[in-house]
Amino acid sequence: MTAITATMRPARTRLGLGALRRIAGNRKALVGMLLLLFFVVLAAFPGQLAPDDPNAEIFRPALGVSSHHWFGTTAYGQDVLSQLIWGARQSLLIAFAVGGLETALAVLIGVSAAYLGGIADGLLSLLTDVLLVIPIFPLVIVLTAYERNAGFATLVIVLGALGWSYGARQLRSQTLSMRNREFLQSARVRGERRLYVIVFEILPTMTSLIVASFLGGALYAVLTAAGLQFVGLGDPNSLSWGTMLYWAENNEALGANMVLWAVMPGVCVALLGAAFALLNYAFDEVSNPALRKPRRVKRG
Amino acid sequence: MRFVARRLAFFLVTLWAAVTTNFLIPRLMPGNPAIAMMARYRGRINPAALHSLEIAFGVDNHQSLVSAYFSYLGNILRGRFGTSLTFFPDAVSHEVLQALPWTLALVGVTTILAFVLGTLIGLLGAWRRGGFLDSMLPPIFVITSAFPYFWLALISIWLFAIKLHWLPANGGYSIQTNEAWTWAFISDALRHSIMPALTILITSIGGWILTMRNNTISVLSEDYVRMARAKGLSPWRIMWTYAGRNAILPNLTGFAMSLGFVVSGAILVEFVFNYPGVGWMFLQAVENQDYALMQALFLMIIIAVLTAILVADAATALLDPRTRDQQ
Amino acid sequence: MRRFQISLLLALVVLVAVVAGTGGGANAASGSSVTISNESGTTWTCGFNPYNGSVLGLSFGTVYEELVYVNALQSAKATPWLASAYKWSNGNKTLTFTIRKGVRWSDGTPFTAADVVFSFDLLKKHPALDLNADWSVLKSVAQKGSQVVFNFKTSAVPYFYYIAGQTPIVPKHIWASVGNPVTYNDPHPIGTGPYTMSKCSPQVITYQKNASYWQKGLPKIDTVYYPSFTSNDPANQELADDTAQWGSQFIPNIKGYYLSKSPDHHIWFPPVANVSIFINLTNPQLALPVRQAMAYAIDRSRVSQIGEYGYEPPANQTGIVTPTYKSWLPASLKGQYAYNPAKAKAILTKAGYKMSGGVFKSPSGKSLSFSIINIGGYSDWVASVQVIQQELKAVGIEITPQNLSGTTYDADLYAGKFQLAYGAETGGPAPYYELRQLLFSKNSAPIGQTASSNWERFSSKQVDSWINAYGATTSAATQHSLVTKLAGVMTSQVPAIPVTEEVDWYQYSTKSITGWPTPSNPFAQPAAYSTPDIGVTLLHLRPKG
Repeated sequence: MTAITATMRPARTRLGLGALRRIAGNRKALVGMLLLLFFVVLAAFPGQLAPDDPNAEIFRPALGVSSHHWFGTTAYGQDVLSQLIWGARQSLLIAFAVGGLETALAVLIGVSAAYLGGIADGLLSLLTDVLLVIPIFPLVIVLTAYERNAGFATLVIVLGALGWSYGARQLRSQTLSMRNREFLQSARVRGERRLYVIVFEILPTMTSLIVASFLGGALYAVLTAAGLQFVGLGDPNSLSWGTMLYWAENNEALGANMVLWAVMPGVCVALLGAAFALLNYAFDEVSNPALRKPRRVKRG
Repeated sequence: MRFVARRLAFFLVTLWAAVTTNFLIPRLMPGNPAIAMMARYRGRINPAALHSLEIAFGVDNHQSLVSAYFSYLGNILRGRFGTSLTFFPDAVSHEVLQALPWTLALVGVTTILAFVLGTLIGLLGAWRRGGFLDSMLPPIFVITSAFPYFWLALISIWLFAIKLHWLPANGGYSIQTNEAWTWAFISDALRHSIMPALTILITSIGGWILTMRNNTISVLSEDYVRMARAKGLSPWRIMWTYAGRNAILPNLTGFAMSLGFVVSGAILVEFVFNYPGVGWMFLQAVENQDYALMQALFLMIIIAVLTAILVADAATALLDPRTRDQQ
Repeated sequence: MRRFQISLLLALVVLVAVVAGTGGGANAASGSSVTISNESGTTWTCGFNPYNGSVLGLSFGTVYEELVYVNALQSAKATPWLASAYKWSNGNKTLTFTIRKGVRWSDGTPFTAADVVFSFDLLKKHPALDLNADWSVLKSVAQKGSQVVFNFKTSAVPYFYYIAGQTPIVPKHIWASVGNPVTYNDPHPIGTGPYTMSKCSPQVITYQKNASYWQKGLPKIDTVYYPSFTSNDPANQELADDTAQWGSQFIPNIKGYYLSKSPDHHIWFPPVANVSIFINLTNPQLALPVRQAMAYAIDRSRVSQIGEYGYEPPANQTGIVTPTYKSWLPASLKGQYAYNPAKAKAILTKAGYKMSGGVFKSPSGKSLSFSIINIGGYSDWVASVQVIQQELKAVGIEITPQNLSGTTYDADLYAGKFQLAYGAETGGPAPYYELRQLLFSKNSAPIGQTASSNWERFSSKQVDSWINAYGATTSAATQHSLVTKLAGVMTSQVPAIPVTEEVDWYQYSTKSITGWPTPSNPFAQPAAYSTPDIGVTLLHLRPKG
């Protein structure tokens, strides 16, 4: 849903230093940044932060909350908190990798379609539009189901390769609208190479679109990967929040008094997702001039 | 006219691409539906019986890829989707038609509800910017839109069905109820749909609120709105006919597409709630390598999306004369 | 404006409240009823063809019946059913059934020997229906008055179980006009059984009792509801809150989740087959010392406790399931391959394997590192293999789990494209059946071709001859001595390593119904998916009070 509606966002302007400053001052962005930072720290130093080995089945199963086990233990006697901390790594990596891959493809295809024009544009736009209407989630399910141990690489490639179309479409129209702007004309007159024009003149003007595409892609990847792992299409031996939910569900964690085992991974997914969503929201507010200053409309 | 022709070409190409992907994917993947069938029989079949079944299915015919492709196209044109492995010996079309109403009623209605409510809230929020609605709801729903909805479904089952016993935990209706158009059945089905519907609503409404709010804010700063204000038109009228109408236009296509995505959006919710719709059926088809069922569902989704976009295009053209001259 | 917002919210609240408040529209049917909770993974097709392997559980035992009921839990005890008597003759090559008098199909037509002959001819004509391969041993089936005479190609005593006990009999007057019985749906089944199918939707099948059933006064339960469950969770929930009374579910944490919810909740998991590590014997790396070392290195009790919550008891290397078949277990083989990691290492060292970097290397220098295929959807098996992985690692053998989809797993298993596989055979009413599945070379196939069982590709002329000898005898003493020999092969050759014992999953509530199968009265296999046992269990149930 988020991704679909992203297309409909009004065009944005160049993201300058002023915008960055505004973001720093935006409360939503601050909350999003702090959340993201929190998970990045968890993902970077799980060995130092986690109290126990996440896979060791060394404790009594289904222990309740205690000072040693903040969130209890699993049905296999593993420490839930340790699993959460270790699980952050895969979820974050998937988010960044998919967001990055998607954005790279979107930029590559969207900008070149607009810049090349003609038949190339026609074909690339068609590809974009076709991919836009093909339902991705079912396709992802089909592809991962065959590769049952759908590990990190499979997930990233499938999600990234199928998810770029929204971004590409926006970037194309944004580029089109600028093709004849003066600073580009002058660059062309200067005899700059096409690649130079694209990389140094066009792309910087679209930072906010690119960031939005990245954040949207990351959010989508976090949710989709968790969903796939939850229904058992991921690698059940890997450590991630989605896999934790799979095991919790398969052990009736909610019905058998291991509530936190099922609740906490979902909370983590939601918080990480919220971080991306809030950042996206904040970027939107900051970069769209119409949204910038909340100005009270008089009651007519 | 040229615009219409381009659109039509786009639809045809998309349809063809989808149909062809549909054909290729199962064939490029490893695995064999005959073995899948054996798995469904849970070891209760001897190899000779299996071989005879393969022949009965037509799994065994060694057609070339090209001729298989054309007979596949022919069958689709005639609306023949073949026999389902999962529901052997039932026809795919029969199974899909049985499950479709449940999904349409649950997810379809919920999607429309989310759009209408989201749009209203977004519009009101933008209109009274910084007011109660605007400062509370959008941030809340931005966060809920990041919830994994299957997880929300699990938690709500635990809370409302297991702990509080307010609502039924699963299924489309109680097993003792007769499936007939009686109030007992309808109210029972409605009760069963509350939790899945709210789950979808809560996780999907945020997007609509946000885009509508932002669109409206942009529109409100347009000259013609200022003009209308200056003319002293009633705020009610400005909000609905000027701001609302124009702000909703860019959302129509998105809405159309989300309608088309009803089936895919239903997959996990139906899985968790044991709901007898097509989303769950799709997951099942994939698990069983049930090509016939998978292809029929996939095609159905694509056609739904395309039709919805076509309608949205028409609606946009109707509401916004500018688009007719575009491109 | 504000008023508008508030009324919008109010309207929403009212709508939800109205709909939520109209509950109780579902009123329970009058009379006694039992609801089954057995996750099927699909919704119902409302087809009841008893020769269709994926739906036979919905009609065989309830609507359609067998000639003789054979109880796997009582060492193949035979109870005459549609046949009132049977007799072996001609050196165990001829089997004669006397057909019961006074039985009627549920449409009123009398049931006769002609129906039996017709049913078996149907299987002969359409091999796709012959799920148990009856005709691989049958020569002819002929009617002789009220008797039916089966002639066999060779003596095939164990096939009695399949022919008499596992083949449903259908009415000739209805099925004779069916065009293609393979694709026939049989939406309105007419049978001789205790129940008739009265109503079916994708969500639930309703069975009503057959008022003119041949066992007078039975069944006592009027209605049976069989809802479809597409996943485990909801099926378990219905058992926990007593919406369903008869469960055939894997319920994790069953104490907290089910037993503690009511004193009327009971469970019983009788073991019927083994869950084993199948070893691909065509792989030279998996030589005997390696197989023996693995068998010693696995702490089966720990796998059972962690992977299966202790519900599936630890297995033993003979392949004879205990306690179900404990009378068959030879004393000499009891306790072999008890958990002993030191012994595992000793065997490998003695055979010339060398430990380096925590992993043993074969004399030819290859690391003992293998992949093991498993079904990713079976979370208990995945957990079990994780435990096995840790235990084998402790003795210097590495295994890497590959969790496949059910279909890919089956394809690889049947074709022999694996090194190790975690899986189960189907077993039968005596240990012989599973040992035959594990060891009979005729069941196997070359790598790349589909094997019906014996996926480890074990092959021995001597073992084949023992298996055939069992088929030719009705003497219990001879059967026991042959099973001892086969069990000896399991311990000396280790072609597969039984780890835990597969059970019939069974939960039942005595709140409103009594008469359930129990460990002290195991009159039928108690899982609702056991056919035709489901019918036998239903015939024993009674409303309480």
